[in-house]
This record gives sequence, C-alpha cells and structure tokens, in this order.
Amino acid sequence: MDDKYKFIEFLGLRFNVANDLSVLVAGALVFILVFALSRKITLRPGKAQNVLEWMIDFTNSIVKSAMPDGSGKQFNLYAFVLFLFIFVSNQLGLIFQLKIGGFTYVKSPTSNPLITMGLATISLLLSHYYAVKKFGFGGYVSNYARPVKFLLPINLLEEFTNFLTLSLRLYGNIFAGEVLLALIGSVAKSVGAVTFIAAIPLAMVWQGFSVFIGAIQAYVFTTLSMVYISRKLEQE
Amino acid sequence: MAGLLVLGANQVALGDMLFILVSFIVLAVLVKHFAWGPVTKMMDARSEKISGDLDYADQERSRAEKLAKDREDALKNSRAEAVGIVNKAKESGETQKKSIVSDAHSEAEEVRQRAKSDAEKAKQDAMSDAQNDIASLSLEIASKVISKELNADDQKSLIDSYIKELTVNETK
Repeated sequence: MDDKYKFIEFLGLRFNVANDLSVLVAGALVFILVFALSRKITLRPGKAQNVLEWMIDFTNSIVKSAMPDGSGKQFNLYAFVLFLFIFVSNQLGLIFQLKIGGFTYVKSPTSNPLITMGLATISLLLSHYYAVKKFGFGGYVSNYARPVKFLLPINLLEEFTNFLTLSLRLYGNIFAGEVLLALIGSVAKSVGAVTFIAAIPLAMVWQGFSVFIGAIQAYVFTTLSMVYISRKLEQE
Repeated sequence: MAGLLVLGANQVALGDMLFILVSFIVLAVLVKHFAWGPVTKMMDARSEKISGDLDYADQERSRAEKLAKDREDALKNSRAEAVGIVNKAKESGETQKKSIVSDAHSEAEEVRQRAKSDAEKAKQDAMSDAQNDIASLSLEIASKVISKELNADDQKSLIDSYIKELTVNETK
C-alpha cells in the first residue's frame, strides 16, 4: 500500500526497518512460544509438552509425506522452525501493526517479497546443498539432464520458477490480505458511523479468513520446501 | 538509464534478505537448543521405552503362560502320583497283613510245638523220677530187709506188699 518505511544504510546494504523489526518480533514470538512450552520436559508429557509435541508431530508428518523413506529426518527441525516462523509472521500483521509518525515499524514480515524470497532462498540453498552432498558435484550437475537430455533448459528454468512461485505465492497471499484489510479500514472511515458499522462484520470476516490463509500458506510453504528438497535428493 | 537501474537496485532493501537469513538461522539454533533438542530426545526416549515395555510385557506373558502350563502339568502329575501312592500303600498294607498273619500262624505253631515238647519232656521227667523212686524204694526195701533178717515167707509177703503198694501208687 502507500505505507512509508524507514531505511538504514549499513555496509553498503539497505535495510528496511519495518521488515527487520517484524522479523525480529516474529522470531522472538516463536522462540518465546516454544521456550514456554518446553520448560518441563518429562517422559509423561504435561499439557504444554503435549502441545509442543503435537506441533512437532505435525511438521514431522509434512516432512514424512515428502520423504517417506525416513531420509528426511534431518529436515525435521527446519520444517518445524519454518512452519512456526511463517505462521507467526502471517498472523503478526493481523494482530498488531505499529505505525509511528506515518512510518510503519511492525507488520507481517511475510507481506514483503524480499522476506519471502529470503525464506525461499534458505529452502532452495538447502536443497542444492544436500543434493551436492548426496550425489557429489558431478552427479548434482548431471541431474539437470535427467531423465532425458533435452529437458535441461526446462530443468534449469524450473529452478527459477520454483524460487519465484514459492516466495511470491506467500508474499501475494499475505500482502493481499493486508491490502484488503486496509481497504476495509478506509471504507470504515470514509463516510461516518454508517460505513463504520457496516465495515465491522466485513473486517471480522476478512480477518478470520486471513488467519485461515496464513495457516494454509505456512503449511503450503513448508510442504513445497520439503517437496523441492526431496526432488533434488532423488534421481529420476 | 544505467544509473536509474542502479538507483532502482539501490532502492531494494537487499539487506533484508541477509537479515532474515541470519535471524532465521539464529532462531533455528535457539529453538534447537532450548526446545527441539530436549523434546525430541524425550520423544525418542518415550518411544524406546514404550517398545521396550511392550517387549517386556510379551516376555512376561510368555513366561506366565509357561509357568501356568508347568503348574497344570505338575497338578496332573501329582494326581497320578497320589493315585500311585494310594495304590502302593494298599499293596504294602496287603503284604504286611499277609506277613503278619503268616508270622502269627508260625508263632502259634511254634508255641504249640514247644508246649508239646514241654509236655513230652515233663512226662519223660516224671517217668525217670518214678524209676529213680522205684530204685531208691528198692534200695530202701533191700536195706530194710537186710536190717530186719526176714525169713523167706516174710520176705515174700513183704515184697508182694511193696509191689502192691507200688502198683496202687502207680495206678493212682
């Protein structure tokens, strides 16, 4: 939207304060959540431990559905952190947005394409890294010409489309959610009490839907990351 | 144009990508150290314990089954054994009874035999006593005859009277 952001130049790189602060807030929330849930770890789980184990089982099942042969155990932690981080990031902008003096400071970090691209980069880097580790560099390169040689350009192109679809799908969903929420907000303020009252159910419905979308997108991002990693790790 | 492109690139906050990379890795490390590690370790320990307990339960059940079977066999055996013991006791009682009866028989026979021989011996003794008596009587008569100086008739009547007396004694 027409939000204004503060920028910081550091070591020749530009940092968007709103993005970075939101990432920090989301990361801190994720950490506080799992830290609070993991205080009393016992063989007979308590309530908090049950919740944590339920989340772990959930993300483990995502990894397992992509890599059923148990080779994906090393990605369990990644899937867990990725899912929780994206989920919390998606909900962050719905729950709380911080604007001071016209500048936005805290919002959903995933409503910015650079952040989602950063997450997608992590996933794809992992997939390339583990492919090289498994097949060696030669085997990794020759995998681009499989199953037949003329698919080489398509396979190369696929790497870019994977990256773009993975990152932009998440960005688009969350950004659109925030845009629509802002639009409903501006509708509420446009005329007066009538539009304000009319906008309340709209905002409620859309916020509920955004929560749902945020959860779905976190699930989709994690699943697709695991699928891309698993595809890199098998020879066609 | 080139300047515009560079400016455009400059406007994009590429630092954010670096920032999320670093912060994500830090978050993953923290989560792993504080929550993921302990919880997954405990989950593994639990699944191990559960499978161990199941194995143990299987073992115990088979052991209990074996024990029950042993007990049943022992019970069956003990019944047969009891029957055997009773039979043996009956048998030994029977033989004992027989031996006691035969012992009693032989003892009675012996007692009878002994009584018979005792009686025989007593009779013999009595006979020899009588003979001795007769001899001593004869000697006494003889001595009396010698001391009295009897005539033939007197002697004869005396002997006859003694003999009569003797036979009377004998028949008595």
